[in-house]
Amino acid sequence: MKFNKKDDGSYELDVTGYVCPHPQLYTLKCMDKLQDGMIMEVLIDNPSSIESVTQACNGKGYTILGTNQPKAGVTAMKIQK
Amino acid sequence: MAEATSSSRNKIYALGVVGFLAIISILYYLSAPVYLYIVAYTWFGFIYGALQQYGRFCFASAWRDLIMVRVPRMFVGIMMGLMTLSIISAALMIKYPSFYHPSPIGPHELVGGLIFGLGMVFAGGCATGSLYKSGEGNMISLTVLLTLSFTQAIFVAFPFFDEMMDGLHLTGPNSVGALTPDTWHWPQYLMANKIFNIPQGEHPTFIQNLIGNSLINTILIAMVLLVCVYLIYVRKNFLKRRVVSLTKSADGGEVKMGIGDDLAGFWSMISSSKRTTIAAVLLAVVAAIQVFTMSWMRDDYNFGDDLGGGNFGLVFAQNADGSRRVMFSEAENKTLTPAQKQEKIDSTLKKWPAADPAEATQIKYNGKLEALPGTGGNMFDPGYWYITTQEAMFAGWVIDKVIPESITGNLRAPHYNTDAMYPDNVREVLPPDQEVNGNRYFGGAGVGGGNALPKPWLSPALLLSIGLILGASFLSLWNKEFKWKFPTKELAVYAVGGGILMGIGSRIALGCNIGAFYTRASFGSWGGWLFFFGMGIGAFVSAKAVNYIANKKMAKQMEDMDFDIEL
Repeated sequence: MKFNKKDDGSYELDVTGYVCPHPQLYTLKCMDKLQDGMIMEVLIDNPSSIESVTQACNGKGYTILGTNQPKAGVTAMKIQK
Repeated sequence: MAEATSSSRNKIYALGVVGFLAIISILYYLSAPVYLYIVAYTWFGFIYGALQQYGRFCFASAWRDLIMVRVPRMFVGIMMGLMTLSIISAALMIKYPSFYHPSPIGPHELVGGLIFGLGMVFAGGCATGSLYKSGEGNMISLTVLLTLSFTQAIFVAFPFFDEMMDGLHLTGPNSVGALTPDTWHWPQYLMANKIFNIPQGEHPTFIQNLIGNSLINTILIAMVLLVCVYLIYVRKNFLKRRVVSLTKSADGGEVKMGIGDDLAGFWSMISSSKRTTIAAVLLAVVAAIQVFTMSWMRDDYNFGDDLGGGNFGLVFAQNADGSRRVMFSEAENKTLTPAQKQEKIDSTLKKWPAADPAEATQIKYNGKLEALPGTGGNMFDPGYWYITTQEAMFAGWVIDKVIPESITGNLRAPHYNTDAMYPDNVREVLPPDQEVNGNRYFGGAGVGGGNALPKPWLSPALLLSIGLILGASFLSLWNKEFKWKFPTKELAVYAVGGGILMGIGSRIALGCNIGAFYTRASFGSWGGWLFFFGMGIGAFVSAKAVNYIANKKMAKQMEDMDFDIEL
């Protein structure tokens, strides 16, 4: 698990290599730390966690700004608090 | 350009998986036409795997994600699938009453579920979830799978563990038949005796099954649970967002929430993850189609009985006089002449492989034909979606090959005991010299037979598991989600620890999240719910432990970082 600051108000969380429940757990814990309006990009390679993160963000009212696949098997999700 | 190439390559690999399976299927058929039965199992597994991968369908996340991240998608998916399968099952039991599998009810289901639930959160997936995730290239899930399988097998194979487990099966009686007055599943017992007054031995109608099994024991409980999940986990946030949204459109005027808003909230919970809910319903439909298909094939290849039962092991079986056992229906027994029967036997044997006494296990077959001394056929052949038992059989087969018999005892020989797995009414029908079989996993004898230890490539249910892995591989490759993932030291500890607990839980409960919960509960056997609630308690405890460890790791990761956010 790597959590880095990219710019002011912009962070990156890398949870590749992890399986359930770690990616969704770390993603939400890190989002909890952010202030409203801040953005975090999370890298996940566990498909079921992507579904759970999406649902959790919807439930909490976070906005998913976009997703893309930087490489096969890895999804990058940009989430705004 | 590189992106397009990579995408095409993935699709080629995906088609390669299908091609591989198609070639294997043809080879099976060419070997003996009856092997189409195994092929059918494999392709059903393939469909299960693809659907599970599409819906990210894993029972572990039902409790875990609800508790840890307040996401109800999988809980909803399972309940929707369960209700669908339950209604289909009510119809299924009219034609195939032998598919009703009410398990012996007892504390073993709660305890087994609890230990299984503890393990599945650490392991990161349930038994069937670990299978499909293995198909995504996830070797951590494969580690879970192997650990789970070998743990189960070890707890059967080694006398010390086996006796310990037998001691835990202090169960209530095993009920026989759906909604019959002798059932010990008390809601059904009351329905059958006090409401429907079904005569002893008669099978209920579709409506009686629907009300007595599906509605009371499955749909009602599932709906209550869904309402509870909505009230506890969804309602507050949903109504808060709805108030904000409606206030904006009402230009700041006061907005009051009512029952209509709650219904909207409930529906939003049901439909929040379309892919999970769609997959759940489709899985239930496919599971029912499999039951019909396998029963039809058993009849077609003459190893099925009139109740939808039958056993693939029969095709390898041989009587002491060298004759084979081909099943005849009651009608056939009455109407066919001896010559016609012989003709049917001859044409059947052309489709079957040669008898394999080494493969068939010692059993007095409890079928339509007269039981003759000799080798009979019985192996694990559930005819529907099943997961852990066949994997334990595979592990047992490996143990049987690798570990000397002086240590394990003869795994293939059924060993009998007098534990409480079967009630008196079942014991009474046994011949005086035959005891109830304690080794249901590997021994081949006893009422209903055991699972036996067939060669893995001739075990229909194991081929279902392999098909499931390949189905998930196909879809994950096609959608560019496949990725080889190997365990780190941390994840290996979780996988092995979780797998061991799941193996012990499955052995105690006589099934995993599918066999001990999903299938049982969908047929109206409320013992399945005991396993599910046990899973919930176990998942709650291990979720707290995983959460504690995650907090520690995060604190360590962040302690030296210069953030402008509050930690």
